[in-house]
Amino acid sequence: MNDRISALSGQALAIMIALALGAMVILAVSESPLHVLLTLLDGAFGNPERILGTLLQTTPILICGVAACISLRGGLFNIGIEGQLFMGGFAATWIGFSFEMPPVLHVMAGLGFAAFAGLAWVAIPAFFRARYQTNEVVSTILANYVAVLITSYLTINIFKRAGGAPDTPPILESAYLPQLFSFSRANWGLVIGLVLAIGAHFFFTRTARGYAVTEMGANPKFAEYGGIDIKKQTFFLMLASGAVGGLAGGIESLGVHHRFMEGFAPGFGFDGVIAALLANGNPLGTIVTALFFGALRSGSLLLEVDTTASREIITVIQALIILAVSAQILVRRRATDSSAGERRWKF
Amino acid sequence: MSSWSRRLIAVCGASALAFAATAASAKEVSVAAISGYFAQGFGVSIVNGLKKAEKDLGVKVKLIDTGNRALDYEEQFNNVGKSGEYDLVFVMGWELVDALQKAATAYPNTKFVFIDGVLDSKQIVYANFAQNQGSFLAGALSALMAEKGSAIEGLGDGKAIGFVGGRDIPVIRDFLGGYEAGAKAAAPDVRVDSVFAGTFDDPAKGSELTMALYGQGADIVYNVAGPTGEGVLQASAAADKYSIGVDVDQCDVAPGHVMASMLKRGDVAVYNLVKDVVDGKTIEPGSTHTYDLKSGGVELLLCPKVEDKIPAEVKAKVEALKTEVIDGKIVVPTVK
Repeated sequence: MNDRISALSGQALAIMIALALGAMVILAVSESPLHVLLTLLDGAFGNPERILGTLLQTTPILICGVAACISLRGGLFNIGIEGQLFMGGFAATWIGFSFEMPPVLHVMAGLGFAAFAGLAWVAIPAFFRARYQTNEVVSTILANYVAVLITSYLTINIFKRAGGAPDTPPILESAYLPQLFSFSRANWGLVIGLVLAIGAHFFFTRTARGYAVTEMGANPKFAEYGGIDIKKQTFFLMLASGAVGGLAGGIESLGVHHRFMEGFAPGFGFDGVIAALLANGNPLGTIVTALFFGALRSGSLLLEVDTTASREIITVIQALIILAVSAQILVRRRATDSSAGERRWKF
Repeated sequence: MSSWSRRLIAVCGASALAFAATAASAKEVSVAAISGYFAQGFGVSIVNGLKKAEKDLGVKVKLIDTGNRALDYEEQFNNVGKSGEYDLVFVMGWELVDALQKAATAYPNTKFVFIDGVLDSKQIVYANFAQNQGSFLAGALSALMAEKGSAIEGLGDGKAIGFVGGRDIPVIRDFLGGYEAGAKAAAPDVRVDSVFAGTFDDPAKGSELTMALYGQGADIVYNVAGPTGEGVLQASAAADKYSIGVDVDQCDVAPGHVMASMLKRGDVAVYNLVKDVVDGKTIEPGSTHTYDLKSGGVELLLCPKVEDKIPAEVKAKVEALKTEVIDGKIVVPTVK
């Protein structure tokens, strides 16, 4: 417990340092940091519509974050969530506009196929990681480019609707994932994300299989000695992570855009990984960090209109947070145990 | 912040605004522009027009960068529409079309101007460019030069010219159609080789494709490919051949190798529309403002470093074709 408190306070301190550095950047572009902060808060939580706007931004980050948590828990680093999201988004859209089905079934089929597409997309890197110890960071990150370009190719060259925009046809209304309230695009995907996060938490803390995964993340050699089939578990863990990543894409296309287009949802996969890292791979903590990043993103939209600071200031702050957090993780780890370098995130 | 203190601030703010309003003699005009491409090619041209309007006409200008996340677009439009303080909102980029059409319906009092295309909605104002006409002249110039062949330094006798497009979308096809028609009208025996890079963001690919075109004997290549096109221009310097710039004055990207630039005067379009608002003219919703050769909305700029290599008769021929297009004697085909 003590350990957890020190971890939390370390995380908070890292964020503080990042925000302070961010304030200096804002000063450098001659805008008052306080004004920027207040505009950010107003943009993120100023009225019910904006709060839902924040939740809308939070949803994909949260689900991608859960996907990242699943792999991180087993000591694996799935950076390919971005690509899985694109594949999932395209797959769900395809189901959405190609088939006629009754409403609820249509949504379920779309989301199911999205999850399958994400799973299939990670299957090759997962197989090579499990069988031949290939570095999954490299293979999954490379798969991202392929996924983005393949979906873009399919959209423009095969499924493009008439007109100048690089979009697929819209999905049928029966495939719409319903909105939570009529006045915002925030949808049931948020609920799915929360259920996934809580579900993952219980899986890791309350089940034997979840314990085996945690054990593998803590020390794969010890886990293998303890009788866990590391290869099999690695493979299935990566698949699960990919399926959740694909689901994130499906929720974006069925819940928000109702179509697939070039530049579908760039960066959410990476935001999810960052949210998960900031939460130390804890699914419940990821809810909080995803909300934090969602609020930053959503608040930043008002920055463009109401201040002279650019929306991109948020990207700077986010990058500073990553730096601060990874620095403190390294420092803390070096202080507490010497074998840390061998366990997680072997680069 | 408690609600009454917020109210107090609102009251102070309102009275300050009222004071400002009475202090200023005329109503201040504010315009906004929404796009993800302010930093490149055509976007730069629009920003220049807005800057000019800010300086000359004293209007307030707000640039709103959408970034590239589709999820954000609608909120950006909502923030602009709700503020209600903009007399004109310029929108550029086909990826924004869906959000634009929703916003135009949701905020009927805000006047949106869609730049570089025409949509179905009757609530939006359109600024459309006759890129086919400008490209017609670019095609004519290139073809006439290619016809001269090795009489001109840096050219071979391949009797061909090239075209590198970004993505294969209608607006780029419109450029290509004009380019081909221009080449045919000026020098029918010159071949036009066209390729599409499939992306606007890959200069390396632009270079590669251009080298391939040069290899096929097309020694002048027209780029209509945004940042991908930068690669085309650089390849022309590397291979010691020629290229043609697009949208803005690109002569300086590869001096001595960019033969001409087909200018799409986004700055003129934006400036004129802002001026209309300042002058109190009404801009009808649903109206299309066309910027063509006649109105100076598109033009072919010969690059100073190459200009003296272009024979006078070629210049005269291009000029003659330009007059014919303006007079309507030649109708350049268009793709929509």
